[in-house]
Amino acid sequence: MENYNDDLYPLALLMDELKHDDVSNRVEAMEKLDTIAIALGPERTLKELIPFLNDVAQDDEEEVFAVLAAKLGDFVPLIGGTAHCLPLIEILTILVLMEEPIVRDKAIDSLNNISLELSDAELAEVFIPLVQSLSQGNWFSKKIASCGLYKSVLVKVPAAARIELLNLYLKLITDDYPMVRRSAATNLPELINLLTTFTSANPNHDNKVNNEDWEIISKMFHHLINDDQDSVKFLSIDVLIAILEFFKNIGEDSFNSDFLTSALKLISDELWRVRYTAADRFSKIAENFESKEEELFQLIDPFIKLMNDNEGEVRKAVCKQLPEFCHLLIKYKSTKATILSKIIPVLNDLSQDNQENVRASLASSITKLSPILERQSTIDKLLPIFLTMLKDEFPDVRLNIISNLSVVNETIGINLLSTNLLPAITELAQDHKWRVRLAIIEYMPKLANQLGESFFKDELLSLCMSWLWDPVFAIRDAAVKNLKELTTIFGSNWANSEIINRLLNNDDKIDEDDKIDYSNFIIRITCLFAITSLIPVIDYEIIEAKILPFINSLIVDAVPNIRFNVAKSYLVIVESLVKSNTVGKDELHKLINTEILQNLEKLQNDEDVDVRFYSSKSIRGINEILA
Amino acid sequence: MDLDTDVPMEDVEEHQLRQSGQPAGADASAASRPFSGKKQDLSLTSVNQLDQWIDKLSKCEPLSEADVKRLCDMAIDVLQFEENVQPVQVPVTICGDVHGQFHDLIELFKIGGPCPDTNYLFMGDYVDRGYYSVETVSYLVCMKVRYPNRITILRGNHESRQITQVYGFYDECLRKYGSATVWKLFTDLFDYFPITALVDNKVFCLHGGLSPMIETIDQVRELNRIQEVPHEGPMCDLLWSDPDDRGGWGISPRGAGFTFGQDISEQFNHTNDLSLIARAHQLVMEGFSWSHQESVVTIFSAPNYCYRCGNQAAIMEVDEQHNRQFLQYDPSVRPGEPTVTRKTPDYFL
Repeated sequence: MENYNDDLYPLALLMDELKHDDVSNRVEAMEKLDTIAIALGPERTLKELIPFLNDVAQDDEEEVFAVLAAKLGDFVPLIGGTAHCLPLIEILTILVLMEEPIVRDKAIDSLNNISLELSDAELAEVFIPLVQSLSQGNWFSKKIASCGLYKSVLVKVPAAARIELLNLYLKLITDDYPMVRRSAATNLPELINLLTTFTSANPNHDNKVNNEDWEIISKMFHHLINDDQDSVKFLSIDVLIAILEFFKNIGEDSFNSDFLTSALKLISDELWRVRYTAADRFSKIAENFESKEEELFQLIDPFIKLMNDNEGEVRKAVCKQLPEFCHLLIKYKSTKATILSKIIPVLNDLSQDNQENVRASLASSITKLSPILERQSTIDKLLPIFLTMLKDEFPDVRLNIISNLSVVNETIGINLLSTNLLPAITELAQDHKWRVRLAIIEYMPKLANQLGESFFKDELLSLCMSWLWDPVFAIRDAAVKNLKELTTIFGSNWANSEIINRLLNNDDKIDEDDKIDYSNFIIRITCLFAITSLIPVIDYEIIEAKILPFINSLIVDAVPNIRFNVAKSYLVIVESLVKSNTVGKDELHKLINTEILQNLEKLQNDEDVDVRFYSSKSIRGINEILA
Repeated sequence: MDLDTDVPMEDVEEHQLRQSGQPAGADASAASRPFSGKKQDLSLTSVNQLDQWIDKLSKCEPLSEADVKRLCDMAIDVLQFEENVQPVQVPVTICGDVHGQFHDLIELFKIGGPCPDTNYLFMGDYVDRGYYSVETVSYLVCMKVRYPNRITILRGNHESRQITQVYGFYDECLRKYGSATVWKLFTDLFDYFPITALVDNKVFCLHGGLSPMIETIDQVRELNRIQEVPHEGPMCDLLWSDPDDRGGWGISPRGAGFTFGQDISEQFNHTNDLSLIARAHQLVMEGFSWSHQESVVTIFSAPNYCYRCGNQAAIMEVDEQHNRQFLQYDPSVRPGEPTVTRKTPDYFL
């Protein structure tokens, strides 16, 4: 190592590392490229590092190239600004021609990145010739690469040059190779969006977008919707959306009826991928026709046709669009009426679709229809569907309904919701899949908040307590957390009479047989967890009178796991008492010294190492709090 | 449906050397340490270090090579003092094969409760087959060192130099660390794992099954376990055998260990005053399966084994009154795992 001149060291190190046999080492070395460039400084980066990288870019493996391509995108400042960026672009031009998509994509991103830092003159001198020559290249990878680069120049050139570029792009859109057409179609919406933002930012610019531009773009669109490859054709839907947004932006709707015809054609295309994409973007398409009642109306039947499509993927995608599309429909009386007359009947069928992922998709969106349908129709039409779906055999369907119920609640009120749904919820609370039970538990505080104490106690409290004895720990844990949340809602006294008395077997009204059997370790530790979780949310009097004696009684438990959790609970007690600030300082210190610390010291001499560890930890914690 | 057709391989030279060298070294270090009834509590620094590792591992991030080295040194310190028949107190939750399915191990703790609040006994086969053997075995060993009284980890037939070279652990170490060092550290550590456990003198737990050369549990105590799993003999059988419907001893299709019938199990339980033999080693579709009229139970804790068998997993809780409860579970839900993509690659066009 001493043989290296200090200045040369970073570069030599990189060269060495890049000779490593293992690809992962070479990738790692390449990751440090910017550090090395900083160490070398701009001049030497340009003179030594860049030429070296030029060689590397022709002799290594894809993984290394991908990192190199990504790194070079941020290299302009490291070579001292755009004045010397040509060699950088040369390396990236080599990389951009690789047939490996990840290398190509990274190189395209980096080139676009660099273009942002170039002046218009530099763009015209370096970039436009690059785009032109790639577009007319003799090999498909050149043309594919060029498609991604148009966005860096398109709105930065004079109108005439732009027309020239668009004409070149049109050639790509009609290329013989499907992968070239596909790449061109993929990038086209972004180019149109660029024209849209350019137009709205400079409405009266000399170079503003004119009819000539649109003639070319419209030619592109017509080629795309008639392409014989489904993997190209489906991309025309995003192109259509981009075009519609452009015209909406400039307030021009005279072409809308033509576009509607194209849209309807695509929506009912015979290729399922095209229909799938149309279904997936349906409300985006529909948004552009909402200003005319007549046009919006024409989209309803195609929408229903998609809901009845033969392909499950299509039905699944269109289900997701329900709330947004229906939201557009309520704008006009005629279209609004069709929600009830045409769409809801199909939902009944879809809720029993033979594919479970279609039903799950519907379940996640159907509840959002209730504010659109309003109260009475939600009760008459939607509630029966919810009930069917809550009993679905596929857990995701039930889960999606339950986790979105709050929006239904806002429309019809908790009473109606609960009287209709309670039986189903009780059933789910005993579902054999624990994640379904978990989802129901998590919904309890929400129900409690809106049902009020007495209703909750009658209908749901015993359910909440029963989860404490679930065989699955995650459910018991959720039940413990739930009891704490319920206590914050209903208050300390409620917790005392409804939860604590029950857990500590202090309730006289309970039969001997129903009392909790403490002989089981899991029941004891769950009670301890439940009681401990309540400490921060209940009053001092209850802690002193009920909780502390209970915890004290467990320090001689036969199972060490209980004993070290007792040690942890003592710390929780002290923490919350000090925090709540409701107890006099003298009284608190007396309690801590006579009862808590004394018991912890007993535990510190326990035969089990974990009990000793946690009691010492709690003692340290308490002393820190008191200090 | 049993995929586990592992066959022991020809011996590697190196471990022959170890067999004579290593145990002597271990004995020496054991002798040099003054015996005391209560082992030294872990220092606070070690506790913090372990908690930090457990934290990292629970996110499924592997430890660095240097940390694995330190962990294995600490683990040898704990495991070498455990017995061939490690005594275990009730309550305890008994688990079977995990096989590198780390996310399902985390699911297991969601079902059974986290360690140390719940006591665990794992019956081997932590590595191979699944994609996260390194994380799985590192996590369990960390827990063992941090809470030696709360968790017991037995040796399975996959905790061996030869088997791991064929079924994935060796390649995974190479892929994740770039060298075989970590594999070497762990396989050296495996030699110290206890081979059986006895829950409250009543439930005999081990990975495979019984051996024709073992009639009493005391005979297991006399074995020298600190070595690579041999190709034959009692220690091999304990890790390789399977119960069978046919009575008596049979030749195992696995090429190691034996099959044993109900007469053998009943005799063994009677001789040793046991209520049950709990073992793992075989895929069972419900996660657990009784044999020999409830004198043997098989527990398997890798749901959807090899990510394709479609089986449930199970664990067995044994409470203070020796009541047993089986908890079955399915594979963990992993958000972001591959769903169906319909993207067509360029070359299909």
